[in-house]
Amino acid sequence: MKRKTKEAIAGYLFALPIIITILTFTIYPIFAAFYYSFTDYNPLNARNLETKFNPQEALEFHLGVFQTDVSSVDEIIDFFDLLSFIKYDVGVNLDETKEKIILENFDTQKLLKDFVHGRLNKEMKLSDFMSEYLKSGKKYFKRYIPNLLGLLNFKKMFNDQYFRISLFNTFFYTVIVVPVQTFLALILAVAANSKIKGVKFFKLTFFIPSITSSAAISMIFWMIYSKPGILNRLLGYFGFQPIAWLENPNTALPAIMVMNIWTTAGYFMITFLAGLQDIPSSIYEAARIDGATPNKIFWKIILPLLRPQILFVATMGTIGCMQVFDQIYFLIKNMRNITISFYIYKNAFEYGNMGYASALSLVLFAIILSLTLIQRKLVKETY
Amino acid sequence: MMNKKLKISFIISYSILIIYAIVSLFPFIWAFLVSITPLNGVDPVTGEKFGVDIMQWPPNINFFRVPPKVFGVDATFENYKKIFEVVPYYSRWFLNTVIYALALTLGNLLLDTLGGYAFARLKFPLKNFWFILFLATMMVPFQVTMIPQYNLMVKFGLVNTYPGLIVPKLTSVFGLFLMRQFFLNFPKELEEAAVIDGAGIFKTFFKIVLPNAKPAITALSIYTFLGAWNDFMWPLIITSSKEMYTLTMGLNFFKTSYYTFWQYMMAATILMTIPMIIIFFSFQKQFVETGKLSALKG
Repeated sequence: MKRKTKEAIAGYLFALPIIITILTFTIYPIFAAFYYSFTDYNPLNARNLETKFNPQEALEFHLGVFQTDVSSVDEIIDFFDLLSFIKYDVGVNLDETKEKIILENFDTQKLLKDFVHGRLNKEMKLSDFMSEYLKSGKKYFKRYIPNLLGLLNFKKMFNDQYFRISLFNTFFYTVIVVPVQTFLALILAVAANSKIKGVKFFKLTFFIPSITSSAAISMIFWMIYSKPGILNRLLGYFGFQPIAWLENPNTALPAIMVMNIWTTAGYFMITFLAGLQDIPSSIYEAARIDGATPNKIFWKIILPLLRPQILFVATMGTIGCMQVFDQIYFLIKNMRNITISFYIYKNAFEYGNMGYASALSLVLFAIILSLTLIQRKLVKETY
Repeated sequence: MMNKKLKISFIISYSILIIYAIVSLFPFIWAFLVSITPLNGVDPVTGEKFGVDIMQWPPNINFFRVPPKVFGVDATFENYKKIFEVVPYYSRWFLNTVIYALALTLGNLLLDTLGGYAFARLKFPLKNFWFILFLATMMVPFQVTMIPQYNLMVKFGLVNTYPGLIVPKLTSVFGLFLMRQFFLNFPKELEEAAVIDGAGIFKTFFKIVLPNAKPAITALSIYTFLGAWNDFMWPLIITSSKEMYTLTMGLNFFKTSYYTFWQYMMAATILMTIPMIIIFFSFQKQFVETGKLSALKG
C-alpha cells in the first residue's frame, strides 16, 4: 500500500470517533433546532403515539358496558361517538386535520365487530391501533410529525412578555457584569504586577471561586444573602434594614450579578497578568522618565497593550453572561427575574414547547454572534 | 521623592490585593464555619428554636483550644458524617459525579487527542471540510443543541442512564482544537526520525508523540474533569430519578428538601468542592502560571 493511502486510512481511524460524535451530538442538533423552530414540536405529542393501551378496556369504558354483555354491533353503535372515543378514551392528541381524517376514514364497523368478537383484549401502541382501523391517511398517525408553523414562533416572541423580560434581564446582566468584572480583573492584575511578595498566594486565592461549581457557590450565597444572613448582619452595623436579597425582585438579579463578578474576576485577572508580564519593563521606565503619571501609564500604555486580552475577557464574559443559567435556576424565585437561557429551559422541558424554545435559542445564538462581532470591531477601532 | 511614590503605590497594591483576598475567601470560610457548627433550627414538634446563631458577627472563633470553638460552641465534624445518613443518596451522587467526570475525561483525552493529531498531521480526504464545519459550531451555545440532543437520547432510550449522561459529551470541539494546536507546534523532527527508523503511523503516535504530549493532555484532562464535575445543565436535563443525579443536581434537591439545615447544606457544599480544591492545588501551575486553561468558564 502507498504511504498516502495508509495515511488517509490512519487519518480516518484517528478522527472517525470524534467526527461521528460531533456529527451526531452537535451538527445534527443544530440542523434539528432550525427545523424545530419552524414547528410546534411538543415532546408529549412525540411520545403520544408510542403509548400503549388496551382497546377493549377503552371501549368498555366509552360505552359503559362490558364486552361479555354485548352480542351484536347494533346494540352499541348508537352509543359510540368516534371523535370523543379517539380523543378521550384512546388518548390520541388531535388537531383539525387529524379529526377530519378520522371522520372520513375510520372503520367503525370493523372496530365494533372486533370488539363484539372479543378480539381487542390486548396491549397496543396507539400508532398500531390507528393504522389497523384507518382505511387511509395512516401516515399521519405512524410517527410524530410536528406541524409546520412557518415564522409563527418568531412572531410570537413580540407579544410574549416573558420573552421581553428575560431578554431585558439578560442584557442588563451582561451590560453590568462584563465591564465590572473586566475592570476589576484589570485592577487586580495591575496591583499584582508590582514587584511585591506573595503574588502567588494572591493568584491562587483569587482563582478559587472560579474552580468551584456554580451549584456550590449558589448554595453559599443563598445562605449569605438570606434575610437573617451574614450580609444583612454586617449591613445592620451601618444602619441598613435587613432585606431578603433573593426574594425581593428588585435586588435578586443585582445580587446574582455581584456573585458572578466575584466568581470570574479573579479568574480573568490571571489572563491580564499574563499579558502584563509580557510587556517589557523598559516601556514603563521610559514613560516614567518622560514624566508620565501612573494614571497616564495605565490609560495610555497598559490598556492599549492589553487589547488582545481585553477582547478575550470581554468576549468570554459576554458569552458566559448571555447564557447564565445555573445561578438563576438555583436562586431565582420570581419570573420577573429570569434570563433568556432559563426561559428556553422552561419552555423546552417544563411547558413542552420545544418548537418555541428552539426558536428562542436561535435568537440567543444570533445575539451572541452579533455581540461578539461588534466587540471585535469596537476593540479594533478604539485603539 | 521617587521612593516615596513607589512606597505609596506598594501600599495601595497591597491593600487592594489583601482586601480582595478576604473578599474571595470570606464566603468559603463562612460556609466552612457553619459546616462545623452543631445543628440548629426549629423543632418540628414544639416549634422552639434550638442551637446557636450561625450568622453572628464576630463569629466568635477560637482555634487555639481543643476542640476549637465556632460561634461560641464546640466545633464538630458530625455534620459531614450526618449528611450521608440524612440524605442516603449523597454517596450515590458522589459516585455518579466521579463516574461522569472520569468517563468524560478519559473519552476526551483519548478521542480529542487522536482527532487533534489527525487534523494536525495526517492528510485524509475531506479534512478541511470537517475542520471548517467543526470550527463553525464553536460559537453555537448549548441552549441550541440541548433540545435535539435530549430528543436523540429519548429515541435511543438513554434518558436517565449513564450512557445518556456520558456519550454526548465524550468528545468536544474545543478539546479537538486544543490538541490540534498543540500538535501543530510539535517538533516534526521527532516523528520524522521515527519514520526513518521504519516505524508506522500508529507506532510513531503511541511511542513518540503521545509521551511527549503530556502538557497538553494534562491541561485537557483538568479542563474536562473540572467542567464535568461542575456541570449542571446536562445532568438536569437528562437525569430524572434521584439515583442518577450528580452532586450539582443533588445539591439542588438538598436545597428544596432540607432548606432549614444550613449546617448540612454547607457540609455538602464544602464536601463537593474539596476534590476541585485538591486538583487545583496539585496542578496550580497549569491554572495560574501558563494560562493554558483559559476559556475554563465561559
